[in-house]
Amino acid sequence: MNSVNSAILSPTIGWTILAIFSVIWVFLGWFWGRKAQELDEYVLAGRKVGIALGTATAMATWVTSNTTMTAPELAYRMGVWGMLGYSLGSVGLLLFAPLARRIRRLMPFGYTSGDFVRLRYGRTAWYVFLVISLVYGLGWLVSMGMAGGKLINALTGIEYLYGMSVILVICVGYTLLGGFRAVIGTDFIQAILILTGLVVIAVLAIDKIGFDQIHESVTRERPELLNLLMPAAIMFLFNNLLFGVGEIFHSNVWWSRAFAFREDVGFKAYFTAGIFWAPIPIVAGFIALAAPAMDVNVPAADMVGPLVSSEILGVTGAVLVLIMVFSALSSSLDSLLAATSILLVEDIYRRHLRPKAAPGELRSATRWTILGLGILTWIVSALQLGTLAQVLHFTGAFVASTIWPIAAGLFWRRTNPVGAVLAMALGSLAGIIAYHVIGFYVAALTGAAVSMVIVLVSTWLWPRDYDWDTLCEAHPGEESAA
Amino acid sequence: MMATEGFLSILVSIALVITAIAPVALLVMLVRDWKRGNLW
Repeated sequence: MNSVNSAILSPTIGWTILAIFSVIWVFLGWFWGRKAQELDEYVLAGRKVGIALGTATAMATWVTSNTTMTAPELAYRMGVWGMLGYSLGSVGLLLFAPLARRIRRLMPFGYTSGDFVRLRYGRTAWYVFLVISLVYGLGWLVSMGMAGGKLINALTGIEYLYGMSVILVICVGYTLLGGFRAVIGTDFIQAILILTGLVVIAVLAIDKIGFDQIHESVTRERPELLNLLMPAAIMFLFNNLLFGVGEIFHSNVWWSRAFAFREDVGFKAYFTAGIFWAPIPIVAGFIALAAPAMDVNVPAADMVGPLVSSEILGVTGAVLVLIMVFSALSSSLDSLLAATSILLVEDIYRRHLRPKAAPGELRSATRWTILGLGILTWIVSALQLGTLAQVLHFTGAFVASTIWPIAAGLFWRRTNPVGAVLAMALGSLAGIIAYHVIGFYVAALTGAAVSMVIVLVSTWLWPRDYDWDTLCEAHPGEESAA
Repeated sequence: MMATEGFLSILVSIALVITAIAPVALLVMLVRDWKRGNLW
């Protein structure tokens, strides 16, 4: 199908919107980052982020292009349970709230989730964890880069390579200029844009068509979508829940925010973000359920959201969707670039190559790493290696196996390194086997279950008395001077 | 067991109200943080 002819908006409108937002984001990145000369200012916004920006950045980062585009698709395929299942992704944010408070308290000078695993469990666990974390981080980056190109192409007809390049250049540009302040500042604006756009489209759908007509049309044309006992959707629900918890518990995207928030903010910010995020897939999914009532021709399920929006609001609706999708992509891409770069700099560059590196050198290394990651993502996304996008689905087993070692390691003094290593390694292995033997919907479930049993049994059989003060590591400035 | 119109409308209405409140709450929190010098 010719994407230029099938696109909802013209390429001219698409380019205009991209240009306007590019200028705004890059200017704000420069403006907010111009005084961030210190390492902590640049990579963690000075560790003083308040509740408003904290809540918005946690929420906006978790709203990926998947939330705005896949939630309607899931509702269109799996019905009510698809909406509710996706909504359970918020459980990860809610459960991370107490962890964020404890992370900030135990590690006031920490930089990465890798720091925690190294200090808590030692080098073997650290290496296993780094492999899981970096594969996941790079997989997510590439999948977001590719999603950017594909979505911009589907919505505006702009060629995949151009759309993907534009969104990557913009995100790398403002993250490079402004560091973490640019990330969380733009995240706030992006959160407001996503939420407002969603409410406008949903309210207009209800006003124009009404619940009764939407329900009647779905009952007549797609009754299976209203089935509350749809087995595939219930399986998806549990797997999605555990996948989300694993993603958030281990990823430096969420740990770096815990380090960056003020000490009393972490719990409140993550908890509020979870409450605000939970209804988004339901509202976005509901928009898709309006498709049968509107007689919208849906050639591909993943385009149902934009198609219904443009049917309700015409060009304005399609422009709103493009802005929402662009905001969702940017808020995730910038966070990934920032969090993955500091993970590479702190855990690989500093801890393996330059242990005496001064804060200024680490700041410079972070900037080069952001640029390098952007280039790497562009190359892999340009090649459109579909298999790499599939890696992200595959990582469900890996990330879910980190849930217990992370949570138990933060709260239980007696959890030991051998148990943590075995939990991550065997949990991942069991998850992969389940992925191939049974299906994708049990990979995270199996990985988390095996990991849980190993952590519980090993903690019970071989308890260790860990000293929490070990986690309070010195700042790099003090370490390099020593 | 099928979702009734009432179930669907209550589910979506609750979700919509929270989604509509969220940006307003974020802006209120932003102003409050800014006034207290706790923005970042």
